[in-house]
Amino acid sequence: MKNPYSSIQAEVLNVVTESANIKTFTIKPRGEIGFRAGQFMEVSLPGIGEAPFTPSSNHNNKETLDFTIMSAGRVTKLIHEAKPGDIFGLRGPYGLGYPLDTFKSKEVFIVGGGVGLAPLRALLYALFNEIDSYKKITVKYGARTPKDIIYKGEIDTWRTKSKNINIEISTDIGDDTWKGNVGLVTTILNKDSLDIENSVAIVCGPPIMMKFVTFKLLDLGFKDNQVYLSMEKNMSCGIGKCGHCRIGPFYACKDGPVFTYDKIKGLPNIWD
Amino acid sequence: MKDNIYTISKKDLFDLFSRLASSSRVVVPYIKGERFYFADFDPEKEDSIELGGIRQSEPVKSFFSRPREKVSGFDKDKPKPLILAGVKSCDLAGFYIQDSVFLTGDVKDPIYASNRENTTIISVDCTFAKETCFCLAIEGAPYPTANFDMNLSIMDNNILVEVATAKGEAIVSRYRMFFKSAGTRHTQIRDSNRRAVSDEVKDFINKRGTPDSSKIKGMVKEKYNLQELWQDTASTCVECGACNLICPTCHCFLLFDGSRGVHPIRNRIWDACLYKSFARVAGGANPRKHLYERMRNRFDKKFSFFPETIGKFACTGCGRCIDACAGDIDIREVLKGLVNGKWNKPPHK
Repeated sequence: MKNPYSSIQAEVLNVVTESANIKTFTIKPRGEIGFRAGQFMEVSLPGIGEAPFTPSSNHNNKETLDFTIMSAGRVTKLIHEAKPGDIFGLRGPYGLGYPLDTFKSKEVFIVGGGVGLAPLRALLYALFNEIDSYKKITVKYGARTPKDIIYKGEIDTWRTKSKNINIEISTDIGDDTWKGNVGLVTTILNKDSLDIENSVAIVCGPPIMMKFVTFKLLDLGFKDNQVYLSMEKNMSCGIGKCGHCRIGPFYACKDGPVFTYDKIKGLPNIWD
Repeated sequence: MKDNIYTISKKDLFDLFSRLASSSRVVVPYIKGERFYFADFDPEKEDSIELGGIRQSEPVKSFFSRPREKVSGFDKDKPKPLILAGVKSCDLAGFYIQDSVFLTGDVKDPIYASNRENTTIISVDCTFAKETCFCLAIEGAPYPTANFDMNLSIMDNNILVEVATAKGEAIVSRYRMFFKSAGTRHTQIRDSNRRAVSDEVKDFINKRGTPDSSKIKGMVKEKYNLQELWQDTASTCVECGACNLICPTCHCFLLFDGSRGVHPIRNRIWDACLYKSFARVAGGANPRKHLYERMRNRFDKKFSFFPETIGKFACTGCGRCIDACAGDIDIREVLKGLVNGKWNKPPHK
């Protein structure tokens, strides 16, 4: 029986500093480990500890994986010290990922907040793989300040992937250089020319942002089952045994981490 | 005469344990004061072995997922087969939960699976009840009905043996000389003893007014938003986690990494949902910041989650959490309060 608690090794190839507390690590697994956009893995520093992250790279890329990680706790603080050549541990993938097939021929409305853009980047690359299958892609991204925007050098290349892609960024606080919208991400959520009936909304960000974005989307006319939320709970074992990530009758690790709002609406403390 | 029942004398049973101990680890229950506990079979200490009585102080789950163990990064020697004798019905009921967690789903837990596979369970009917026993209220009974390989019912001068699985049958066929055939006259004595102990449990349930499973069903959900009720329940809780750790159904664990020399090792220890950090994430968000939310979560998991997902309560009526609670929170009183809507603050003594 394969040991689900064992990690394989992965070598750090490249580190990109995205913002003051967010870095993207490109790693090369020493063994087979694939994923589908939206699934997560447990990334560890051998002997130190592990934490759950959703890869932010294209799931068709089998050679390397990207993880965009915010320094937020004991393990991530040490992960941030990693240099090319260092070794991470990796196990997974876990969870169900985005149901891309059900998104086909629809308008995909993506809302990200802060480092929550990381799994959405994997989703975007997955959509780009079959760009003609999706009617329209809209990205609304909110960051705290212009300096906190991640994937800065890359976002412009996303705009060139299709004429049916629209990307808008808002920052909570502006600065002298910032020409875009200033305000919470909810202030740039509008119907535009959306065909809401034929849309899905994909949301990932801090809990408070997800809460208000969900309410705004419902106001705009999205139905509960059209809103896909990334419920980032304390996923530890990844296989529904350790008990930490329970949400009502579900475990975020095996039944999620992406849930449509109708599945979890009314369950306790989903926004905390 | 049934072909799966036998009798064995106490002396022959201890001889059997001695024989089994040459190739297996044999664990049996001992008595000290009023408490029962498990330890390796030692013929020198036969006098303090007590097969009957009630459940042991520690739950048997510790033989299958240990309180602290390595889960990755080491070479494990295959342990000797384990013969675990003296297990009571309320611990056997715990296997419904533990097995569903560790043995079902897309991925099995290899450590638990191997320990389960490696263990032969010899259960024993309870020979009396304690005031905190309430198995009969929670779809259980003070005698085993499932999840054992071999069950012993202690009678006056003899022990009735019921064999339920191939593992149990293997012991009988190898040591056939210890086992004598049994019949209705033996099962009648057993059934009468069972009725007597059941009556004791029923008395305790009735005296306290502990509600039964039909009334408890759906109650946590119904009373979920009565914040005051949950705050009162938790008012004397000191967040020690004893109720979680000592529960035969609680299964949650924490993974943590360490190293032996330069080799990374992954360990796990039992975790407790009463601890504040249980559901907290690295950014600091915590879906259960308040103690009353964590107390409620414990009841929600036991009386909503498991009934909804596998059709079983994650409480077996063993009463260990009542004994263990430093804040005198009595699970029976909490259930009573949920059902009656009339709240009784701890301490419940």
